[in-house]
Amino acid sequence: MSPLRRFLRTPEAVAGAILLAALIAMALIAPLLFPGDPQAIAGPALLPPFQDWSLPLGTDRLGRDVLAELFHGARTSLAVGLAAAAAALAIGAVVGTLAGFAGGLVDEVLMRITDAFQTVPSFLLALAFVSVVGPSLGIVVAAIALGTWTGPARVARAEVLSIRERDYVASARAIGMHPLEIAFREVLPNALPPVLAMSSVIVAAAILTEAALSFLGLGDPNRVTWGGMIAEGRAVLRTAPFLSIVPGIALVLTVLGVYLAGEGVVETTAVRRSLS
Amino acid sequence: MSLLAVSNLTKHYRRGGKTVIAVDDVSFHIEPGETLALAGPSGSGKSTIARLVLRLIEPDAGAIEFEDNDFLALGGAALRARRARLQTVFQDPLAAFNPRATVAHVLDDPLRIHGIASRSERPHRIAALLERVGLAADLAPRAIHEISGGQRQRVAIARAIATKPSLIVLDEAVSALDVSVRGQILDLLLDLQRQERIAYLFISHDLGVVRAVSHRVILLDAGRIAESGDARAVIDAPQSAIGKALVAAAPRLKRTTQDAS
Repeated sequence: MSPLRRFLRTPEAVAGAILLAALIAMALIAPLLFPGDPQAIAGPALLPPFQDWSLPLGTDRLGRDVLAELFHGARTSLAVGLAAAAAALAIGAVVGTLAGFAGGLVDEVLMRITDAFQTVPSFLLALAFVSVVGPSLGIVVAAIALGTWTGPARVARAEVLSIRERDYVASARAIGMHPLEIAFREVLPNALPPVLAMSSVIVAAAILTEAALSFLGLGDPNRVTWGGMIAEGRAVLRTAPFLSIVPGIALVLTVLGVYLAGEGVVETTAVRRSLS
Repeated sequence: MSLLAVSNLTKHYRRGGKTVIAVDDVSFHIEPGETLALAGPSGSGKSTIARLVLRLIEPDAGAIEFEDNDFLALGGAALRARRARLQTVFQDPLAAFNPRATVAHVLDDPLRIHGIASRSERPHRIAALLERVGLAADLAPRAIHEISGGQRQRVAIARAIATKPSLIVLDEAVSALDVSVRGQILDLLLDLQRQERIAYLFISHDLGVVRAVSHRVILLDAGRIAESGDARAVIDAPQSAIGKALVAAAPRLKRTTQDAS
């Protein structure tokens, strides 16, 4: 059975994939469906959902279109989640490979640095980093990556420790390959599968961290974010709870979709590996 | 001068506070175009010697002279450059290749690293290497895991001869192959030796194979040389206890001696 068919036979994976596809579609068509600034005033303030069909999800305190904000917020969440996870996985894979392959003092130094990062709660680290450097999309991505690269680094190191004893690494040394080339061309690609298996959890955590930072007012002020929308709606939670609930549901469904789809991919590839 | 001269080589391992002597004061030499076999039971230090000679691990004591140079004094780029002259073929032809590699990729590496052929020439060199080891040139784009064990070992030999070495360490290079393939690979190795004057350090526990392909043999026991000399003479009439035990354990050889008597 092909991996795709096995993936399609897992209901959770399919549900996750559909949610993720919907999120990507929202992010992609946002500028087509809602051209112009989503933060511009579109109608009367605090219009409840399903009243005016030109503003299906109503408006917030300043009269901004909630549906437009939701679509544009999907772009931010997805961009930050994927970029932060990619950065964390890349840093982690490189640090873990160098530590595991070089061994000795290099390993010791790199792993103590990893320990240091791991002992600080990653959200506090992101919070401190953004407050010092200032909120912008790139900084938020860097801040989240800074707190999450340690997990991938440990997994990569453990995998590299077993791979570096294999004959093909000895063969590469015997033909005179440079140690850095052995580390990054022979060892790293083979150490990646278990590291990539962590990506769904990391993407989901990154999206949540971004929302939390935005909720605290530390997101990029020039972009709509779901966390920022929830924070906006908090002031009128009693009179217009939908302002917090709508982006909240979007956030939950996104994290769930990323997680389920990611786990589905890991499951199907894991089965394939154990069979071969 | 010998091609390779190993003197007083010693290697210890520390395992759980206890020191295990893997190689104990071993000396030997190999002449150009000669096959020297290292034989002995499991744990006798054969593979450790192979790894020491290849500088994959470092000895605790002793000297290795290769092509009239102190091989142990080399480091960094000088060592990597010298590795072109001293190649190896491992036992398990699947484990010896990056699982993601293709045949062309495997043979491209030594040609590129040692600057033997330019980028545009390399496909021709790879095709020539494949033909030299008796494989079709159109095997080049195939993945390593797609081809058979015998073909893989031929690719491993092609990789080893790509840099025109003077010595190849064959660490149980035919032990994992089935008997019919083993004969063909041994013929290929002997043919290469005749034409290119490559010396072999042939490591094996199979005395039948050792007797067929080696000029001289060293029998190892617990890291020490138990017996050495002309391969046929030693295997036909072993003097040491371990030599007698090894010959008695080889069923094919026992039958020959019974037939003769």
